[in-house]
Amino acid sequence: METKDTTQDRVRARDAAMRLLNRLTTGAALSALIGVGLFGAVSAYTIPGTKTSSTATASTSATSSSSTSSTSTSTDASSGLQSSTTPVASSSSSGVAVSGGS
Amino acid sequence: MSNTLLWYTTRGAGAVSLVLLSAVVVLGILSVLRVQSAGWPRFLTAGLHRNLALMTLVFLALHIVTAVVDPFTHLGWLTAVVPFSSYYRTLWLGLGTIAFELLLAIVLTSLVRGFIGQLAWRVVHWLAYASWPIAVVHGAGTGTDAWSAWLFTLQAICVVAVLGAIVYRLMAGNRDPLANARSSFQAAVDRREPK
Repeated sequence: METKDTTQDRVRARDAAMRLLNRLTTGAALSALIGVGLFGAVSAYTIPGTKTSSTATASTSATSSSSTSSTSTSTDASSGLQSSTTPVASSSSSGVAVSGGS
Repeated sequence: MSNTLLWYTTRGAGAVSLVLLSAVVVLGILSVLRVQSAGWPRFLTAGLHRNLALMTLVFLALHIVTAVVDPFTHLGWLTAVVPFSSYYRTLWLGLGTIAFELLLAIVLTSLVRGFIGQLAWRVVHWLAYASWPIAVVHGAGTGTDAWSAWLFTLQAICVVAVLGAIVYRLMAGNRDPLANARSSFQAAVDRREPK
């Protein structure tokens, strides 16, 4: 029954190879998922992003607070903006024309 | 989901997609070369090549979706489909769109290989040799991290791996054990063809 043994060996080898294929595919998928997190973290560390939308919001609020002469000294940690420590006063003097700048 | 998290995911998924695509190309070349051993039958290379190609599409989809929905760039879905339609880094993003569509064509024609025939499948499959370098150029041109040491190293490894596989294939020649038999058979058929 040498032929039968050979066939059985081939079937076993094929099953083993299929299991290896499944393991390699699963491993690659998990590695890729981890890779997205890892590379994302590394990219965040090397070139961190700037929150453009929050910066714009903070900028607007800073402008509005200056126009109302707010004396708040709180710091916006997410935007890095700091409010003025001195009170801002508005003036109503006449305008001055400037020319000759380069 | 915050804007920065989307941005980091875009960059991470892009890097992973490049690695996966490079692995797919290398496995495809090894598959043509009929590489095998006692514990590594030939169908394992082809199976892994197919599975990784499908996986590449998934991570490319993640790369594209996170880039499109990121409000920082306002890319829009049209950019993901029509090359060079983006106002933002038009050339580099357009190359990325082309690379993605070439890969999509390769995978789709592979899935319907039985219907379109071997010749058409092979012709489309050769586009892989265009898709991969276009993807590399896209990453080097538009990538925020393109010249960061870590991504530069990653890209260098991918380029060396694929170029090494191509050189190996060119040097190894035809490994088809039935090539001579097929040629002889074809020649015999041609001789018997009525003029």
